[in-house]
Amino acid sequence: MTTTIQSPAAVGTSGSPAAGGPGPRRRKAITIAAARPWLLLAPALIVLAVLLLWPLVRVLIFSFQDYGLREIVSGDTNFIGVDNYVAALTDPQLWSVVLPNTVLFAIAAVLCTVALGTLVAILMTNLSRFWRTVVGSAIMVAWAMPAVTGTYVWVWIFDADNGIVNQLLMGAGLMDEPFNWFTNRWTFYLIVLINVVHHGFPFVAITVMAGLLGVSKEMLEAAQMDGAGPIRRFFQITFPSLKQVFTVVIILSTIWDFKVFGQVYLMPGGSGTNRSVLNLGVWSYVESFGQNQYGFGSAIAVLLTLVLLVITIIYIRVLMKEDEL
Amino acid sequence: MKKRYLPLAILATAALSLTACSSGATGGSGTDATGETLNVWIMQGTNTESDEFFERVGDEFTKETGAKLNVEMVQWADAHDRFVTAIAGGTTPDIAETGTTWTAEFAESGALAPLDDYVTEAGLDGKLVEGLVEAGTLDDTLYGMPWYAGVRSVIYRTDIFEAAGIAVPTTWAEFQAAIETLKTSNPDIIPFPVAGDAEQLTYPWVWGAGGEVATKKGDTWTSGLDSAKSQAGIKFYTDLALQHGSSTSGATTWKETDVLDNFAQGKVGMAVMGSWTPATILDKNPELEGKIGSFPIPGQTSGISPSMLGGSHLSMFESSKNKDLAWTFMSMMTTGDFATEWASQSGYFPGETTALDATVASADEITQAFATQMVDGGASLPVTPKFGAVQAKKTTNTMIQSILSGEKTVEQASADAAAEMTDILNKK
Amino acid sequence: MSRNITPARVRRNVIVGALVTLLLVFTLFPAYWMISSAFDANAASGSTGLFPSELTLDNFIYVLNDGGFAVFLRNSLIVAVAVVVCSAVLSLLASVAVARFRFKFRTSMLLMILIVQMVPMEALVIPLFVQVRDLQLLNTLLGLIIVYITISLPFGIWMLRGFVAAVPVELEEAAFLDGASWWRMFRSVMLPLVMPGLVATSVFSFITAWNEFIFAMTMLGGASDKYTVAIGLKQFFGENSNDWGSVMAASTLITLPVMIFFIIVQGKLSSGLVAGAVKG
Repeated sequence: MTTTIQSPAAVGTSGSPAAGGPGPRRRKAITIAAARPWLLLAPALIVLAVLLLWPLVRVLIFSFQDYGLREIVSGDTNFIGVDNYVAALTDPQLWSVVLPNTVLFAIAAVLCTVALGTLVAILMTNLSRFWRTVVGSAIMVAWAMPAVTGTYVWVWIFDADNGIVNQLLMGAGLMDEPFNWFTNRWTFYLIVLINVVHHGFPFVAITVMAGLLGVSKEMLEAAQMDGAGPIRRFFQITFPSLKQVFTVVIILSTIWDFKVFGQVYLMPGGSGTNRSVLNLGVWSYVESFGQNQYGFGSAIAVLLTLVLLVITIIYIRVLMKEDEL
Repeated sequence: MKKRYLPLAILATAALSLTACSSGATGGSGTDATGETLNVWIMQGTNTESDEFFERVGDEFTKETGAKLNVEMVQWADAHDRFVTAIAGGTTPDIAETGTTWTAEFAESGALAPLDDYVTEAGLDGKLVEGLVEAGTLDDTLYGMPWYAGVRSVIYRTDIFEAAGIAVPTTWAEFQAAIETLKTSNPDIIPFPVAGDAEQLTYPWVWGAGGEVATKKGDTWTSGLDSAKSQAGIKFYTDLALQHGSSTSGATTWKETDVLDNFAQGKVGMAVMGSWTPATILDKNPELEGKIGSFPIPGQTSGISPSMLGGSHLSMFESSKNKDLAWTFMSMMTTGDFATEWASQSGYFPGETTALDATVASADEITQAFATQMVDGGASLPVTPKFGAVQAKKTTNTMIQSILSGEKTVEQASADAAAEMTDILNKK
Repeated sequence: MSRNITPARVRRNVIVGALVTLLLVFTLFPAYWMISSAFDANAASGSTGLFPSELTLDNFIYVLNDGGFAVFLRNSLIVAVAVVVCSAVLSLLASVAVARFRFKFRTSMLLMILIVQMVPMEALVIPLFVQVRDLQLLNTLLGLIIVYITISLPFGIWMLRGFVAAVPVELEEAAFLDGASWWRMFRSVMLPLVMPGLVATSVFSFITAWNEFIFAMTMLGGASDKYTVAIGLKQFFGENSNDWGSVMAASTLITLPVMIFFIIVQGKLSSGLVAGAVKG
């Protein structure tokens, strides 16, 4: 699959635009051809450079300073070396609470999102056209719910005093007293997990489903003839041919689930009061904005970026061949 | 060392009141600023009639100076972040209402303009409420003009107390007994919610037990949250929920606004609430008219457990282009008729002593309890720019919530909180 | 033959039916609960059942009149449309460059685009805030639009690259042979073929513009008349945290436009996503 797609690009890149130029003055055509990619890239590059690359460099610069409100207002610099990094990395909270929460949650969320998404995709390919549309639309509804809204809806559903979950559990006699789901680290993250998976699996489901529809029917049938069961067929034929789909889906999910912020911040106690539920995003926001320590916040941001980079590189190494970039 | 109690001796002053003269008499009146606009941020939720109030202030202001007044309402919950980003981004208004615990912090960043000269010129030296002046001062310079002050006391349901035959409690033991009675007489209401995300509802019990939030010796701050006395107070407060069933598990994540909402919905027997809340409660639920009363937070064995003398300053930003015009607005708001009116509408007490006296003298029954609390049981939190950082880190809220959720014992939680607070207060 | 298969087929249908039901409940319940609470007159004081006890429109009226959501919706719509259009154009142009031409620094360019995608948003709040301030664009929708375009660009380029690469070069060459200029070929040959990819990237930039929260909070802080729906909702929640009927009405109002948008693009979206992912 990859080879058929790669080949036209490879041919095309070698110089087809120049060949296509019908003009008689060849030399000029060549210069235009050489400049054309840069002309096409220019607008995007300018925006990225001004608003992404330069700010990225600035994060790095800030991270080596004691950068507070005063420095932001005045524009002065105040270098302190690697103190921010030392402070961040020696903070016991980072190791005991923040990192475990972030990493375990990301793993759980990626696993659940991808697993659920894949199962739903398989389910959908087995449905009639009508039911596939119904399920597809329902998935769209889940996806369309903005994160902020979704979070409030889940908070309302699990609200201790009037939430439907507590009402139903008490009504069924399974619970005597209303339970506050937000004070316990595990139940808190269970809700975050439901919220994130609910919002995140549609992307996986739809991507994987479309990929499944492209898997060669002949190979599957041949495997079935050979007596391979559905599970073996999935892992021997379907999964390998969807490898790239899964790579992209897993990488993106990991990045998104690592950076979860609003879904935690907006929950009761999530904005810093309940320390046992802090994750990297909220921790860095609270520590930098609440304490006016922008240098410290920048150091955390740099570290987080590095971690995500490493994860991505590992994924790519494992799942993609090098020449496929 | 700072005094914690602020006996408002000024209340006794009957002497030379400048009353009668209204706003125009002070400050730089007569400046013609036609065509200019003064941008002002005011906190939302203080006064249920604020829209109408500022309309009239705006008219008066335009009449006097020719300039337009543009008031933007800001929520307390977001306000700190909004101020910080506005200061960082250079998009501050001319004047803003700043919570008393924030003024020093913003002043330290260099964003606020000093006010001493204006105050002296207007003859207001010594006529502003001491506690508010103290909170608005950094390095002997005044940055926050006292506007209004408030305290928290207990608001309760008079109808329920009467039916259950409960007398107003005057000690902690009586307070706890009242809760036990409420539990049996009205099992469907929350006798006394212990909110886990509300630091101001915690401090009265710390102070009431004789503890301290933080004290300063020389240049070093020490948090007193883990002293035996403080722990006793915190234990009494959290045990109300954990041992005596006065609260709900939901309240573990409540903020002060949740306490208010639930009280207004008639689900709460009594709660510690601010002097500014009765109007809001009745606005949200008119059926409670005549059914609510208040009493000062009882002392451990006698007297009053202090609550924070909180309130607001008006602060002028250095970015303001026409500072005389800004001062005209400030003096209009903080002295004279508008100040008194704002106080009576909102349930706060004016920051200028003469107006304060008048308000206290004419206080209705509910306000009377708050006035007593303010005079005999008003306390102040550590006055340092760093206390804003403590609040932003939610140190005290974290302590209470972790005790209520059973994650930590009172001893552990208070020790952790004290260590964190001491650390933040002594930074830099 | 059918006699043998029927029980198995019935069992299969039952299982599939049960799974579909479960899935529908899980996906739709939050939306249902949001809408039902929004119409419930008693949601504020705690509704007790799965169905509204008394229907009302008061919550919506309150939200639109007193909550200011008409303004928030308008702001978000302006931002979203501008971001979708601009980022689609910019990323399409850029993706043509990286997919169709081989030039110096092409690989490093691609790597850079992949890397900046990893950068967590929180990391950029502080420097972007400073940057937008220096551009004098704080408290303006334009400032926010530019920021969102930047956030959407790397993903868009990455996604569209695959689509552009998949357009057969033969088609292009045929167009050139017919005497078409490069731009004409681009419009009439390439554009239609990459449309599904454009839809997919548009969905992502739309979601970003509609949902984003931290940048809006820091960059529009001082101007509530410029608030987008996400921070408008947060502010509204701060004021009415226990008035769940109104909070849910507000949530419904800001979710509906996204749902409509999604349903419009649904068909194109799935093919676009998979193509982007496979070729990515």
